Amino acid sequence: MSALSIVAAGPGKYVDWGVIQISVANLTIIGVMILLFILALVVPFPSHDEQGQRKGHRR
Amino acid sequence: MTTRESEPSTKETADPKNWTNRLRGWLEGLVPRGQALPDRQPVYVASWIYVFGVLTLTSLVVVIASGCVLSLGGTTWWHVSSLGHYVNSIHLWSVELFFGFMVVHLWGKFWMAAWRGKRALTWITGVVLFGVSIGTSFTGFLSQSNFSAQWIAGEGKDGINSTGVGAFFNVLNPGQMLTWHVVLLPLVVGVLTLMHIILVRRHGVVPPLDADLEG
Repeated sequence: MSALSIVAAGPGKYVDWGVIQISVANLTIIGVMILLFILALVVPFPSHDEQGQRKGHRR
Repeated sequence: MTTRESEPSTKETADPKNWTNRLRGWLEGLVPRGQALPDRQPVYVASWIYVFGVLTLTSLVVVIASGCVLSLGGTTWWHVSSLGHYVNSIHLWSVELFFGFMVVHLWGKFWMAAWRGKRALTWITGVVLFGVSIGTSFTGFLSQSNFSAQWIAGEGKDGINSTGVGAFFNVLNPGQMLTWHVVLLPLVVGVLTLMHIILVRRHGVVPPLDADLEG
């Protein structure tokens, strides 16, 4: 595939909600970031120093 | 370096009028002793949401390293070289990760009101860093030396010119945009990143809103 054929490729897929228009690729990235944010809040962080935690610190 | 006990410390003998001494004192006071690279953190830091700052920083290191490799061969070599394609992809995807991690870092810090406890400047440097990073990325897309860069420049010129900065920030000038991308803006990003990290180490990591700091 030449560089020109990439440029001449068809437009990406877009979704429309009234005034909001966004490409499926960008919408997917935003969705992944939101998912990552939620997972970062709910997935427990591995800890191997229980004693350190009791003292109020972790190593 | 060690000193003999009988020798007075440099702090005791330092001439306050000497600018080297004053600079040393300022540098030593930037971060509390032992906090430059601490190996222990408060227990509330044991959460994945606290990892995204350092993930952003790690991505930035890869962005800068791959950008340095790209700059070795000039402004078009990555279009005609398999190694160039590879390094160009590393540069692009590390930037994608950089922004992804930075946005999650931003959300996490926003929802825990990370400007609390005299951390306003930490928050402000982070916000400015986010904006400058977007500008750096923009000039990167303008420096691709392909039709995509031309299209972005054509679409962006009116918006940029309407702000009044077009005289010294001409998006239709790929040479100028490349210089902004590889010299000026990375310098600003580097200095702001250093300031941001020093401020984080100076004031410590912000505790969660519901943290019981008395317990």
